[in-house]
Amino acid sequence: MSASLSPLLPKEDAREAALFFVVCALCFLAALSGLVSRSAYAAADAWTNDVTGQITVRVRGDDAALARAVEVTTATPGIATARAITRAEAEELLQPWLGAGGVPATLPLPRLVAAEAAPDSDAKDLVLRLTAGLKSAGLETVVDDHLVWSADVRKSIDLAGLVALTAVGLLAATGVAVIAFATHATLLARRDIVELLHLSGAQDGFIAGLFERRFLMLGVQAGALGALMAFGAAAFVLYLLRQSDAQIWLLPQLSLSLADGLILGLAPLVAGVASMIAARVTVMRSLADMV
Amino acid sequence: MREQGLAADDPVLRLDRVGLSYGPENDVLSDVSLSLAPGSLTFLTGPSGAGKSTLLKLAYLGLRPTAGRVSIFGVDTTRLSRRELAPLRRRVGVVFQEFRLLDHLSAYENVALPLRVAGAQERTYREDVVELLTWVGLGDRLEARPATLSGGEKQRVAIARAVVVKPNLILADEPTGNVDEEMGDRLFRLFRELNKRLGTTILIATHDMALVRKAKSDVLRLADGMVMRVPASALAAKEEPA
Repeated sequence: MSASLSPLLPKEDAREAALFFVVCALCFLAALSGLVSRSAYAAADAWTNDVTGQITVRVRGDDAALARAVEVTTATPGIATARAITRAEAEELLQPWLGAGGVPATLPLPRLVAAEAAPDSDAKDLVLRLTAGLKSAGLETVVDDHLVWSADVRKSIDLAGLVALTAVGLLAATGVAVIAFATHATLLARRDIVELLHLSGAQDGFIAGLFERRFLMLGVQAGALGALMAFGAAAFVLYLLRQSDAQIWLLPQLSLSLADGLILGLAPLVAGVASMIAARVTVMRSLADMV
Repeated sequence: MREQGLAADDPVLRLDRVGLSYGPENDVLSDVSLSLAPGSLTFLTGPSGAGKSTLLKLAYLGLRPTAGRVSIFGVDTTRLSRRELAPLRRRVGVVFQEFRLLDHLSAYENVALPLRVAGAQERTYREDVVELLTWVGLGDRLEARPATLSGGEKQRVAIARAVVVKPNLILADEPTGNVDEEMGDRLFRLFRELNKRLGTTILIATHDMALVRKAKSDVLRLADGMVMRVPASALAAKEEPA
């Protein structure tokens, strides 16, 4: 006599091993999409925060014009600080593309004024007033508050986020469809058990519960493994980036932060619950065909 | 014993002009009417292919008739929902011809299955199941899987499973078909005991006419899609030498 009773549904077979692999792979891809999407948002925030309140004035003319532009800019209400960017600083900015000492002495570099808006100033109004002030001072300048660039970055990241969310949604839908298909196959393969339970007076909920518990566990376990693999892949990419000379500030912020942990933690839960619901709906529908 | 919700003289099982067909030209049962009184033990006989198993299937609510009405424990099942049928099924013990034991469960677990479905805790039925299996001669095969059991042993496990919940009605399809005469007699005594002591109503479909003659019970003879009742007395008279 058993110390503990065997489950009414037999333990997993080869079909469930294949299903485990599929759910695991789907969770891996979904978690990875989530991680990439979140880190892209984080990167966009970092980039746009860096330039918020920063105003650059490009000056056409000689050093005198540059000095005059600094004066006018500093005097404009709403500007906290303003200073001219030296040639050495401009060369340093170009260094990632042209290399150290890569700027020929004869190459004319734009004369720039770096200004910072006061925290409570209206950026649009400030740019308009600064442009008007520079113009009335007889200076030929272009004022850039990076708003257009920030908006473009934000728009691109929003689009990328939407694509990632769509991918996660499609992967989840695929997972649900696969589980439903597998449940139906299991139901057909175990029809003898289902019929016997049914004829023994088991309610549909009792029978569905057997499948629900089975697929909940499968979803959670496969989801956990998939999330773990996504964590490993993200950590590996992060490691490679940190080991290389790549300009990682341009790349998404793969930080494996608390938010990333939340994504990784949610993946198995979502996989488990989706599996459970898919199994229940499939079983209840199939049982409805019986007497 | 009076059935729950059943008047003393109400039949436990009643079929009124029941028909079952799988198509316009494929009638399995055409116009079957029968009733089983509470506490009766009745045999269902008939030639192979007459529809005995189908009739039992209708009785254990595994099929719905295409015509007529099946009432069980005084309840007309025609319009009952699936949810409403389940409690009625729990009051019926079925011995299937093909046993329907679950291969991944032990003999003990197979017998305990209806109790698990009913939500009973193992500690409350453990002794009863062991005792029952011991009674059918399988006290030393509690842990055996069906694949390792002989046909007769499977038959006995199936019978033990059908009676373990002390059902109000037992429907047995060829319950002695795979056992020797001695075991057949023993199993029949189990049915008889349940019938006498607990008042369980029993319908046994069988080809075993020797068993029917020994039992001295009423017989329902199924032929050409219809049922005819043969009282035990008539059967005995028929058997007497001229």
